[in-house]
Amino acid sequence: MSAHTHVEGQLPHEPEKATLEGRNKVLGFWLFLGGETVLFGTLFAAFLALRHQVLDGPTANHLFDLKLVAYATAILLTSSLTSVFAIQAMHQQKVKSLINWLIVTVLLGLGFLGLEIYEFVHYVHEGHGFTTSAFSSSFYTLVGFHGAHVLFGILWITLLIIQLMRKGLTVVTAPKVYVAGMYWHFIDVVWVFIFTVVYLMGKVV
Amino acid sequence: MAHAHAHAVKRYSGIMDWLTTVDHKKIGILYLIAGGFFFLVGGLEAILIRIQLWKPQGTFVSADTYNELLTMHGTTMIFLAAMPLIFALMNAVIPLQIGARDVAFPFLNSLGFWTFLFGGLLLNVSWIVGDVPDAGWTSYAPLAGTTYSGDHGVDYYVLGLQIAGIGTLVGGINFLVTIINMRAPGMTFMRMPMFTWTVFITSALILFAFPALTVGLAALMFDRLFDANFFDPSAGGNAVLWEHIFWIFGHPEVYILILPAFGIISEVISTFSRKRLFGYSSMVFATILIGFLGFMVWAHHMFTAGLGPVANALFSIATMLIAVPTGIKIFNWLFTMWGGSIKFTTANLFAVGFIPTFVMGGVTGVMLAAAPADFQYHDSYFVVAHFHYVIVGGLVLGLFSGLHYWWPKMFGRILNETLGKWTFWMFYIGFHLTFFVQHFLGLMGMPRRIWQYLDGLGFNEMNMISTVGALMMGIGTVMFLMNIVITSVKPKGVANDPWEDGRTLEWTIASPPPEYNFAQTPLVRGYDAYWKEKQDGHSGMTPAEPVGPIHMPSPSILPFFMGMGLFIAGFGFMYSPDWGQFLGTSLTMGHFIGIVGLAITLICMLLRSVIDDHGFHIEEEEILKDLGGKA
Amino acid sequence: MASNQPATEQNTKRHKVEGPKKHIVAFIFSILLTFIAFATVISGEINKDFIYIILLGTAVLQVFVQMAFWMHMKDRGHKYALIGILSGVFVVFTCVIMAEYWVWW
Repeated sequence: MSAHTHVEGQLPHEPEKATLEGRNKVLGFWLFLGGETVLFGTLFAAFLALRHQVLDGPTANHLFDLKLVAYATAILLTSSLTSVFAIQAMHQQKVKSLINWLIVTVLLGLGFLGLEIYEFVHYVHEGHGFTTSAFSSSFYTLVGFHGAHVLFGILWITLLIIQLMRKGLTVVTAPKVYVAGMYWHFIDVVWVFIFTVVYLMGKVV
Repeated sequence: MAHAHAHAVKRYSGIMDWLTTVDHKKIGILYLIAGGFFFLVGGLEAILIRIQLWKPQGTFVSADTYNELLTMHGTTMIFLAAMPLIFALMNAVIPLQIGARDVAFPFLNSLGFWTFLFGGLLLNVSWIVGDVPDAGWTSYAPLAGTTYSGDHGVDYYVLGLQIAGIGTLVGGINFLVTIINMRAPGMTFMRMPMFTWTVFITSALILFAFPALTVGLAALMFDRLFDANFFDPSAGGNAVLWEHIFWIFGHPEVYILILPAFGIISEVISTFSRKRLFGYSSMVFATILIGFLGFMVWAHHMFTAGLGPVANALFSIATMLIAVPTGIKIFNWLFTMWGGSIKFTTANLFAVGFIPTFVMGGVTGVMLAAAPADFQYHDSYFVVAHFHYVIVGGLVLGLFSGLHYWWPKMFGRILNETLGKWTFWMFYIGFHLTFFVQHFLGLMGMPRRIWQYLDGLGFNEMNMISTVGALMMGIGTVMFLMNIVITSVKPKGVANDPWEDGRTLEWTIASPPPEYNFAQTPLVRGYDAYWKEKQDGHSGMTPAEPVGPIHMPSPSILPFFMGMGLFIAGFGFMYSPDWGQFLGTSLTMGHFIGIVGLAITLICMLLRSVIDDHGFHIEEEEILKDLGGKA
Repeated sequence: MASNQPATEQNTKRHKVEGPKKHIVAFIFSILLTFIAFATVISGEINKDFIYIILLGTAVLQVFVQMAFWMHMKDRGHKYALIGILSGVFVVFTCVIMAEYWVWW
């Protein structure tokens, strides 16, 4: 069934696709991301439908601080690049460099998350709580779902870093790293639409 | 995974075997038992509803209980009975039909089952607690909001379905990857059996429809538990948004249910007509087209909501378009039977009975698709008759057909044919008695979801007929259960191909199959792979590999605990507003229990990631012994 | 299935190890697109519909860049990945039309 014939220490160029299990994992994760697309699409749809229902709360234009969003965007885009470097290092079998790039990615992710928490606290002080209006509920749900995905990604990649340190790069760990990289890019792609549709379009009066 | 040596692995027996199994055949049986249990629960609820309605102004149950019964009947039947029973057949048959040793993700397969089961149990715990969901299976806002549904009933609906939905989504992805990556050599897409094709498309629909339900349920949960304002008009929310999100999921869900039935019918009719399925390529094309169109018709459930003439016209036309691929399928089944040497086994009776019944459901569907006419039919018993004709007359007949057909493959025993035919006639006549008259009740103006109706409206006789029919369906179901019991005490040992006309790969191996399914992966040389070998005078498949040790995944208890963790978490968060503070913190006892539940699930995920599963090998000698024993 | 697995040595020889250059170009491109989007909104003096077109245009372009280069979708063997993502996008498309046209009237 699966490729059991690898000699220790000799990994193929793309170790994530070396076994049937690995190929299944990568394909399954792509399909999962297709489902995630619908998940976020529905959240976006709910937000779009309710974005003008602000009641007594602040409007999007009044509320959003583009500088903060720009920083968050820069951080997340950079983390996407560092995760690409990690996968490249993996393909060159440079385990140390792979681990380092993953650590950088996690740190950037933490930075993004910190900014987002700061932002949310700031908004609550402005009178924009979760229960203020339909706009606020849908805003926190959409951006919060994304934030939760970032958090999960940070925990996941941290766990993988530990595994890489202990087990090294094998045909078992490689697909996990590859798939986590895909996940991280996907989070970045969702963020592109969040800053475009939620923040930038919210600023257009 | 670096060595080819056998790894020592624990192999469980008894109840632990069932709790830890990752074998698709056993998981199929688990789905069958759980889905069958919920089918009986939902059926009992249906019979109670019919007893309440058998005479005007009945007082058998109270109005509140009636609302609970009809909500739980619909929810249970769709999510906890129909879908798991489909998953039962998918698990039992799909890997065998494509010549695979297992599904792509055996662990996730088990996880899918346990999350479904715990979600379903959470939903039904509501009966014990006494706060039962009562806002209808569609849970329309604002009725389902806290203003009108103040108790925990709808919370059970929201959280139970959310957890069960995770299981379904996981199962959908699993079968997509299985069918794409695990097919035997030579099994090209256009050589796949029709059931495999329909399951493939159904899995795709699950993948793209269920996330919408996830979001809808999450939003409703936030509204109810955390005072969000998605669907609350007084706070700027919008009730129609719930309807949209629900049906963007809900309409594809209808096709998720019916497509596998189409696949089963195709297999059964072809086998028992001893003919190749007529128009195989057009069947495949029609299945894909139905799946695609299924996403573009959701608003036909909302014609009377006031979307306006443009939207209504668009959705009207799109809905009617679906009749075209469906019609193609109907004619293909008829032409398959045409000139065939037909054997009316129980499985085939159900399949042949399906065709006219489903046509009737389809015709009323086209009637309902005409938006202006729908304003008359809407929320009447006409709609109830329509969807029961497609779901019971379509899916349930298909499931019965498939169960009778594949029972020997799953359990090694053929169900009693005489009793099976009695089951068919009892259920079939009962079904038409129940629902045929409901068309006319609807046209006469009887609204759906009502607790009582007045005397003298002309509804009395037809309601009584309907109740008699429902009882007959109940008796039919009991006969099927009796058949299972009678059969299971008989000795095992049917042939590989008990119907003698098997066309597909599952009939080339033992009944029930060994743990590894295929001792040697078969080489597929055409559509209806086994039939082709028979026609060429071969006794079996040409193997694509020599006999050798087979690698198997280890059993695991983790999926069970993951599901249980979610169950505990759902229960805790649901009661977070009610129970007291937790040790003087700002958290309540409910929050604490919820966090513990989530922690159980997350820790299991962590363990799964950290502990590598080396699996184990079934050695060559054991396989050769199996082969020798069977020959 | 063993035949799908070419010998390890050959494998490393055949593949040219790709450098980071391509990805840095993609990164600069996506920063540029982000900058255009932010600048358009901040300058604010343009017609509203035009801003929307620019914003959506830059977002779609950026997603294309990231998926094609960083998620390797341009490479071979991503047929089902593409079908999966596009099907998801199709459903999202219907959701957005719903939200924009059929919720309030």
